[in-house]
Amino acid sequence: MGTVAGAQQILAGLKEAGIDLVSSVPDINMMQLINLLYEDKDIAHVPVGREEEGIGVCAGAHLGGKKTAMLMQNGGLLNSCNGLTTTALQFGVPILLLIYYAGDIGDNAFHMVGLVTEPVLQGLGIKYVMLRDPAKVKQDIGGAVVLANSSKRPVALLLTRAVL
Amino acid sequence: MKRFECLQAIAPLIDRELFVTTAGGATAEWNALRPSDGNIQVKTLGLCSSIGLRPCHRAFPSAKFSSSTATALLWMNLGSLATIGLHQPKNLIHICWDNQQYESSGGEPTVATAGKIDFAGVARNAGIQSSSAAATVDELKQAVIHALEPRRTAFHLGAHRSRPRRSPPLRYDELENKYRFIRYIEDSEGINILRVPMPASYLQK
Repeated sequence: MGTVAGAQQILAGLKEAGIDLVSSVPDINMMQLINLLYEDKDIAHVPVGREEEGIGVCAGAHLGGKKTAMLMQNGGLLNSCNGLTTTALQFGVPILLLIYYAGDIGDNAFHMVGLVTEPVLQGLGIKYVMLRDPAKVKQDIGGAVVLANSSKRPVALLLTRAVL
Repeated sequence: MKRFECLQAIAPLIDRELFVTTAGGATAEWNALRPSDGNIQVKTLGLCSSIGLRPCHRAFPSAKFSSSTATALLWMNLGSLATIGLHQPKNLIHICWDNQQYESSGGEPTVATAGKIDFAGVARNAGIQSSSAAATVDELKQAVIHALEPRRTAFHLGAHRSRPRRSPPLRYDELENKYRFIRYIEDSEGINILRVPMPASYLQK
């Protein structure tokens, strides 16, 4: 379910990077972070029923000048491939993708989702960085948001249990 | 009733509102009737209302937002009705065309063809209180008037079996459509959205 300290670190990184809105579909490993988002007054939190919906919500908010992030598990990344392709990439929409990396090394569940996650991101042409060092979380979030905005594309951060 | 006639009836009601349409004939018909940079065409089937959800919720408190989709596409993202019901954006009107076919891909029947699904009822039970099914052009027009004043979340279903009216295609690709749409929001809302990143050497001076 993640740690409070890890969640606080990520939330602080999102604020420093200027993220205004986070859409989410939960995973138990991101529970602490999602709880913080529900309580936070600075970042608008938009829970949705399916990840592709969140891509649409982020795209709509981007049209209004908002900096957005989509929080989901990597299974949700697979659910959102069409939205990422035909909305985010086709229209040039920057979105920070915060993806819990289920099926990572040491994980005894969702191994197949884990195995296909990076090839799918590569296939989509979405730049990604794996977060394993809690000390670098804020820096990597900031860098990913800068790259997303300058390249006008989604950029993904794969969140491992070490940083959550 | 025919979709084009419905759009003709609605167009004069839509002033500075933002309008999201999905792939298919409705986009060309709408842009022929109401050419505006406040129109944007979505390419991902089923995402019209998701894209329309957020801008009208907090980013632009004064803007109204309408989205137009079809039952086949709504079926692809039926959960979007629950999301709208949850967030209750006060200025989103979601218009859904019940044409009972996959219009753009050859007219194949959809789940709506059997007539067993009450989409307006689904929307109402998902939390969109102002939901209705219109059988005539005037019913749809009155429903849109009702939704426009005062601000409320609304879902309206328009049944039609008409073929798409031959209309010129949208003049812009996705990127031009996006930038024009954003500029339209900037002008309407008096805000600055698009910013060009400055090179580091400039920022250091």
